[in-house]
Amino acid sequence: MIDFTFTEEQEMFRKAAREFAETSVAPHVQEMEKTGEVSDEVVKALGTAEMMALTIPEDFGGLGLGYTARMIALEEISRISVATAMMLQVFALGIEPIVQFGSDELKKKYLPGLAKGERLSTTAVTEATGGSDPTGIRTSYKKDGDDFIVNGRKCFITNSHIADTINILTKSEDDPKLFCVFTIDKDLDGWRATHKEHKVGMRGCNTGELAFENLRIPKSQLLGEEGKGLRVSMSAIGDIGRGGMVGCALGLQVACLEESVKFANERILYGKPISALPAIQNKLAEMKIDLEAGRLLAYRATAMQDSGQRSSNEFAVAKYFTCEAAQKAAKMAVDIHGGYGCMEEYAVTRFLRDSFVLGPSAGTSDIMKVIIGRWVLS
Amino acid sequence: MLNIIVCVKAVPDPKEACNIKIDPHTKTLMRCDVPLVVNALDKNAMEAALQLKEQLDVHICVLSMGPPEAGNIVKECLALGADEGFLLCDPAFGGADAYATAFTLARGIEKIGAYDVIMCGMASSDGSTEWVGPEIAAILNIPVVTMVKEIVESDKDRWKVKASLDNGYRLMQVKLPAAFTVTRDLNTPRTLSFSGIIKARKKEITRWAIDDLGVPAEAVGLKGSPTIVSELSSTESKRQAEMIAGPREEKADLLVQKLADLGAL
Amino acid sequence: MENLQGSVWVLAEQIDCQVLAVSFQLIGQARKLADELGTTVETVLLGDHIEEQAKLLIAAGADKVYLGNKTELEFYQPEIYSEMIVNLASERQPAIMLIGSTFMGRELSPLVAARLQTGLTAHCIDLVLDANKILEAKIPAYGGLLSIICPQKRPQMATIAQGVFPQPELDESRTGEIIPLDMPVDIPRRIQTLEVVREATDGVPLESAPVIVAGGAGAGGPEGWRKIVDLARALKAALGSTRPAVDEGWADLETMIGQSGKVVSPELYIGVGLSGEQQHMVGITNARVMVAINNDAKSPVFEQVDYGIVDDCREFVPVLIKKIKEYQEKKVTC
Repeated sequence: MIDFTFTEEQEMFRKAAREFAETSVAPHVQEMEKTGEVSDEVVKALGTAEMMALTIPEDFGGLGLGYTARMIALEEISRISVATAMMLQVFALGIEPIVQFGSDELKKKYLPGLAKGERLSTTAVTEATGGSDPTGIRTSYKKDGDDFIVNGRKCFITNSHIADTINILTKSEDDPKLFCVFTIDKDLDGWRATHKEHKVGMRGCNTGELAFENLRIPKSQLLGEEGKGLRVSMSAIGDIGRGGMVGCALGLQVACLEESVKFANERILYGKPISALPAIQNKLAEMKIDLEAGRLLAYRATAMQDSGQRSSNEFAVAKYFTCEAAQKAAKMAVDIHGGYGCMEEYAVTRFLRDSFVLGPSAGTSDIMKVIIGRWVLS
Repeated sequence: MLNIIVCVKAVPDPKEACNIKIDPHTKTLMRCDVPLVVNALDKNAMEAALQLKEQLDVHICVLSMGPPEAGNIVKECLALGADEGFLLCDPAFGGADAYATAFTLARGIEKIGAYDVIMCGMASSDGSTEWVGPEIAAILNIPVVTMVKEIVESDKDRWKVKASLDNGYRLMQVKLPAAFTVTRDLNTPRTLSFSGIIKARKKEITRWAIDDLGVPAEAVGLKGSPTIVSELSSTESKRQAEMIAGPREEKADLLVQKLADLGAL
Repeated sequence: MENLQGSVWVLAEQIDCQVLAVSFQLIGQARKLADELGTTVETVLLGDHIEEQAKLLIAAGADKVYLGNKTELEFYQPEIYSEMIVNLASERQPAIMLIGSTFMGRELSPLVAARLQTGLTAHCIDLVLDANKILEAKIPAYGGLLSIICPQKRPQMATIAQGVFPQPELDESRTGEIIPLDMPVDIPRRIQTLEVVREATDGVPLESAPVIVAGGAGAGGPEGWRKIVDLARALKAALGSTRPAVDEGWADLETMIGQSGKVVSPELYIGVGLSGEQQHMVGITNARVMVAINNDAKSPVFEQVDYGIVDDCREFVPVLIKKIKEYQEKKVTC
């Protein structure tokens, strides 16, 4: 018999994450919307609340809690601020390749600082010539003795300007079939964050470009095997990246439903709250159905991940479903609000803009279908 | 080592208070559908104990009387940092008024054994009498200060605290063991942390039923309550609003006219 | 179980040698109850230099005053006060004991009740005798009134806030007994009052304010709350609040009107952004005119006031303030 309930401890994790989001993140949402900038206080609060430590093993200063706990935390934080959840999920995206493929030396060097939020991380794959198609990247490496020299640029990288511990995917100058992932930090010369993007949504989450110019990287910074870098980056983006987007999407779905219910109960038309109207109830029902389904897909995937099973296909399904559902939910929430849905003081306008950014992150819906199609036909 | 026992109550979440119903037979609160949370003011008491634990050698026991679900809030207090949890749980304890509640908790405190300080919120969000804290103290024959808004000194054998007054306070010096009920001005309660929840895995919750406390059934619960609810009646409102309608400026004009007519301007 | 025919007691309270209004109000109500029961009204008064006050208690309706008039009793000391009252009550066996719901009352009455192992009811908004001559304390709850009784234990104790019962007429010709109390021996002295600090308040206390502007959750935040404060200022009104506004940190606990707060009876009450929840509304007794501003046309507050305006208070209040100022300026210049 399948048990679909959370454990008592998981319910407490949810409570802790919700309390954290409501007290430490919520007060900063308006400002993040206005400036589009990352809030230093939010980053600090995330560190103090050990949110970056969830998926780091206890041996290296983390809480070793696994991916279901992570999903719960992301869902609750996203409900208050999708931007913050996105920033947090990408921290984990930067942490995972080090945990899975880093040498003991690298783990000891970075993981304790990452767990405390003293170091901030990301993983940089996408470029102008390839995101959906990572093999199309042009950032190159060439060997020089025991070092690697890297040149190139990355774009649409979340946390580009705040991260100091970055995993970069590079392609061999000599053989386009060989890839390497390196972890770079601020001790290395030859890289910098350049252009900052101004996104229509997820404001408060930093996205931008990185440039590498004759960046000299010692071989100790290599993650996994030389030449096998694609495997390193895809496994990170596959499960962690997709899983992170699922958490962001679920939280947004919850927020859309809650705001819609609140508004529908308060708005009086024809002498009654509009929640009495079938048209509104229909929309609320759809949001609810998508939320229930999305949650099941999400936690099924994290349960598999926690038990050590391969789960990237299940995450592709969850990512596709929840990100599409969140975009639908945001549109429905705006519709329910009528004219007020166009006014910036109403949170639903922010939900709509945030929902746009869910789609292309960690793989577009079309790419998810490519993966799922492959899975079906395999 | 300072032994602090914090008494906490599981109450229906005040944010969902509209769903609370009264049982028409016993005329006590039916708490089924509304989720239980830690009474807000008890969190201030917990926070005070936790802050002391950060500075001194303090052992914190959290004690609650409630239904089995109240075990969750005891667990939550362990996750916040309390060392041991105790739940007094038995159908016989149900329906208790303030006195019966205080009596049962006092017996629980005696069974826990060592204590220097008893702390709790000054009132609960549901019953809200403010009686349980001082009545526990009276039953245990220890001094009590209610409505504490600041702990000025916390020595091993005596404390100095500020207790709220209307527009002011009284500064009290109390010999331990003693009881204190606290206000929300005392501190800002911390939120749950993930590592606190992990640490709570190893902490124990001891559950005691009526036989464990060794008290007769007539002394606890509804049977042990000197007060009972004899009736619930509805109130009729004597007013019905005359609505002032129209565009905003017009409404304001009409209201100002009304206020002027009443002589309020 | 027979209803012992003890007397009706009031634990009177004095601050700075002045008996509080609530104590007089309770003697007024105690008189009614005692007359119905066919018994006497007795009060306990502890303090120093309070002989004249004791006489006032008799003028208000007490037949007997147990007077503790000693230096040591000048300020409220919980151990001494509770010991004296418990000893006296054990000896004299009153049927009923009423206490004002003041800071002292709310600490002292449970200490006494627990030691006498009897029942104590809080937040009473009425006291009557039921068919069995048992005290029925009425408290507001769940949209209605709960009647609480203490059928077996004695005395039947209750705390009542100032303003619930009317001030009785003082009749100087009334006679009564003043019985001096001795200091008890062997009291534990584990609590000491080192200092009592009262900050001066500006303005009229809520309980006697003729105009009150009360705000609630509808203020939406500190900014919205400020607008309500401005409205109170514009009307020269006292500021009141509901529990949600206090919980959010916008308003001080002292401004809270309601079941666990102040009881008021203004000429004019304006409720802004509050939903008319019972816990708040029971604090308003005998207001002459009540007005409410709330953005929900179906809000229960509109069934409890005389005039209502449906609007978002954050938008409406500034317009109202503007209109008030315009009116006041016109008045001055005419």
